[in-house]
Amino acid sequence: MNCNYACKTVDHGLSRRAFLGGVGGLGLGALANPLAAKGLAIQQKRVLVVFLAGGVSQLETWDPKPGVVTGGPFRAIPTSVPGIHISELLPYTASWMHKLALVRGINTKENDHGKGAYIMQTGRRQEPANEYPHFGSVCSKLLTEDKNPLPGYLNITPNGSGAQSSKDAAYLGPKFGSVSISDGKAPANLEKPAGINSEAEMQRHLLRQNANERFYSRRKSAMTEAYTQTYDQARMLMEKRGLFDITSESGKLADRYGKHDFGRHCLLSRRLLEGGATFVKVSHTNYDTHHENFDFHIEQLGEFDRTFATLLEDLDIRGLLDSTLVVVMSEFGRTPTINRNFGRDHWGTAWSVAMGGCGIQKGAVVGKTNATGTAVVDREVNGGHLFHTYLKALGFDSKKNFYVDQRPLPMADPKASPIEEILL
Amino acid sequence: MFANIVNKNRFVCSFAIMLLVANWSLGQTLSQKIDAEVAKPIADFEKKAAPLCSDLEFIRRVTLDLIGTIPTVEQSREFVKSTNPNKRSELVDALLASPAHAWYFAMVLDVTWMERRADKHVPSANWKQYLRESLLANKPYDVMVKEILSADGVDAKTRPAAKFYLDREGEPHLITRDISRLFLGVNWQCAQCHDHPRVEDYKQDLYYGLFAFFNRSYLFTDAKTKQSVFAEKGEGDASFQSVFDPAKVTKSSGPKLFMRAAITEPKMEKGKEYEVAPTKEVRGIPKFSRRSQLANELARGDFEPFARNGANRLWAHMMGRGIVHPLDLGHGDNPASHPELLDLLAKEFVKAKFNHKEILGQIAKSKAYQRSSQVPKGLQDPKPEEYLVGAIRPLSEEQFAYAILQASGFTDAERMILGAKVEEAALQAKLAPQATPIINALATPAGQAPGYEARVEQALYLANNGQLQGLLAPRKGSLSFRLSEIKDAKLFAEELYLGVLTRMPTEDEKKEVEVLLGKKDVDKAGLIRDLVWALMTSIEFRFQV
Repeated sequence: MNCNYACKTVDHGLSRRAFLGGVGGLGLGALANPLAAKGLAIQQKRVLVVFLAGGVSQLETWDPKPGVVTGGPFRAIPTSVPGIHISELLPYTASWMHKLALVRGINTKENDHGKGAYIMQTGRRQEPANEYPHFGSVCSKLLTEDKNPLPGYLNITPNGSGAQSSKDAAYLGPKFGSVSISDGKAPANLEKPAGINSEAEMQRHLLRQNANERFYSRRKSAMTEAYTQTYDQARMLMEKRGLFDITSESGKLADRYGKHDFGRHCLLSRRLLEGGATFVKVSHTNYDTHHENFDFHIEQLGEFDRTFATLLEDLDIRGLLDSTLVVVMSEFGRTPTINRNFGRDHWGTAWSVAMGGCGIQKGAVVGKTNATGTAVVDREVNGGHLFHTYLKALGFDSKKNFYVDQRPLPMADPKASPIEEILL
Repeated sequence: MFANIVNKNRFVCSFAIMLLVANWSLGQTLSQKIDAEVAKPIADFEKKAAPLCSDLEFIRRVTLDLIGTIPTVEQSREFVKSTNPNKRSELVDALLASPAHAWYFAMVLDVTWMERRADKHVPSANWKQYLRESLLANKPYDVMVKEILSADGVDAKTRPAAKFYLDREGEPHLITRDISRLFLGVNWQCAQCHDHPRVEDYKQDLYYGLFAFFNRSYLFTDAKTKQSVFAEKGEGDASFQSVFDPAKVTKSSGPKLFMRAAITEPKMEKGKEYEVAPTKEVRGIPKFSRRSQLANELARGDFEPFARNGANRLWAHMMGRGIVHPLDLGHGDNPASHPELLDLLAKEFVKAKFNHKEILGQIAKSKAYQRSSQVPKGLQDPKPEEYLVGAIRPLSEEQFAYAILQASGFTDAERMILGAKVEEAALQAKLAPQATPIINALATPAGQAPGYEARVEQALYLANNGQLQGLLAPRKGSLSFRLSEIKDAKLFAEELYLGVLTRMPTEDEKKEVEVLLGKKDVDKAGLIRDLVWALMTSIEFRFQV
């Protein structure tokens, strides 16, 4: 076989890979080919997970029970969907209910922060000798094209360690693990080293590529190609580092998102999604309100509500919402019983999640809790059902397996199934 | 590390003969037998196979595999110059006999057995010291495994070996999974919940037979000292159901290794199971310990899976893939590429009293190991398991990091400061702080089997991080310092290519260097930095070729 490795552009390895994959660039020719067009449709799907860390109260958000002993002081207000009421702490979000769906019958049977978060991110209960990949890693694997320089799973953490967690991908492989965007700052090593100007930067990469060309004239293997590609990807990512800079957004829009951490991080999320990111997780902390649940929810949701509604609107205006699956989740909800510190405690027994966008019915509600919110009375689901639902919403058959070293590994918990009632 | 290896020929000679004698049977060395087995499945193997690699390719390859770094420029030059017909074999023996081998192989065993888990109960430094001292003392593999499987962390002397259990939090399922993967070459992960749906050999009862050695064990933390040890109860069954079984029949297993007889357990009267009964404050000591039966039952020459897994992993270390591959998928549906070769190596490993150096040395001396990786004309798509050509295989994270330190001349510079008679430990103390960040930047996640995967974050680190750039700065003895002193472009190119890639530059490569050096107003220091970096990040440096 006559391999042409003479081309020395940055795109070299990538365009070749894309060509081999059957999707050649973004030209008209590609769109005219139905297979390629389908590939593009898949490529355009994105996911945004808003994680309300600590456990948001379902009673102060998606499933209010005003006037009962467990209900707390807040009213329920009508939304843009007739018949659906949510807490008065979410007035802005209420006007976007026609783009959202609610799952009100969640019972994850888990009241531990770590284990609850695990269930919600992997769709499985933690097991001693098995690790399951995060939703973000699964999306990174299924949705991210090889030529996308952005890591497939971006995790914007309020003030995290900034380390990447390739462990999140479990058996899918570290490549699909999360990359932390600590406090919205770009990942490490995106700037070229001090003392190397653009000319030297060009030259050293050219020298590296020359060395590789000479190597390829003698030998080659797929593994070596993947290695050289990471340098091309690194250089493209360096060029994209402006994506992480929200100061180029209009001040007016930034004001609407909010100047607080969550506002800045949501604005960054939208920039990243628009700029080609596959999966962004953004967190808002902290909802662990064992004391003064109601005061804290006024404060926290005051930030969340306006920012989240702005984010939905911004995505919608830019034509991204229908192809972006948006999920608002926590590790669990909060107890209906109000404790003596006016707090609510951990509660995985009967709580809610909101979602919308890609593949999700607009304005749907599924599942029901009883009058005081102490139990699910209709369409009970757990983390497994939610995981199936996300995958199906993104167009995948969630009953299928991943295969790793001959081992069939179900993409989602085989004991659960998608919540068809809210799927398009 | 090792100084002037080829000059030590006379010293290692007698040692080499001893090794050879040990492996001679019917006049054939093990390496010759290896080559005969590798050739078996393919007609005219020798005609089709690639020729042996060059001396420079060999010294780089074997130095990386046996002491985890690349040779110095001086060592490479001397090796090429030497006319000793046995120089390859003598180099292998010298490397294996050097303390650098023990330092390196301790890292290999650490990564294999602990899989980069973060420290929990036993500090990594103590554990690595245990591994290193064991290797320096030529402790056999089966003895090490026995020590690891017997340690409970109570006795300070053997506590480092208890890291395997304690840093897995004494979790019986995790320990069962990892013992079967790492010491027996089988992955029974699926069998925790049901018989493997596709692999005939992976049965749930095999899993629970091994699990039963551990189901009574638990982590006990002393309230006063806060120290955790691995304790055990005197009662409790390893019972299980299959998630596939609609009838939900509960079965139970006593301690039993597959292919071995069940352990006979003494009947204990209810209430009299303990020497010391466990309470919240007191570590229980049962009269009969299930766990203590395992080490002797498993780490023994006549337990085939144990010897085969050990031999298979040594082969994979040298050759880039196992005879059974992946290494933990030993079962009937995934046959060995060369079953008789695996039998041979396992048998010889037992015969050598589990001295891993004999097996590594004999593999290194085989033609199979020494093949060029350049595909000969006329050979179409050779498969890796055919061993017709040398494998192009990635360096481990440790090999890569220490190769960077050697190539940049950081190691040379430190050795200059420390003096000619430097102790390995003193040198290693200088190298480790520079190697660790590189290893971390490339490493696989904690708790997952080590393996190579290219990720963009690694390229970003190697391209832009200040630590690596710092290694490229000139200091006395370093490569960029030496290059800055060389005026002649051809000599410059030789030093550069020998230093980084352990080979002489081609005419094209000399020309490239000459043109760049000859440019008007050349920033020589900057050019040197970029030339060294470019070769270090090239394929030829990242992979064994």
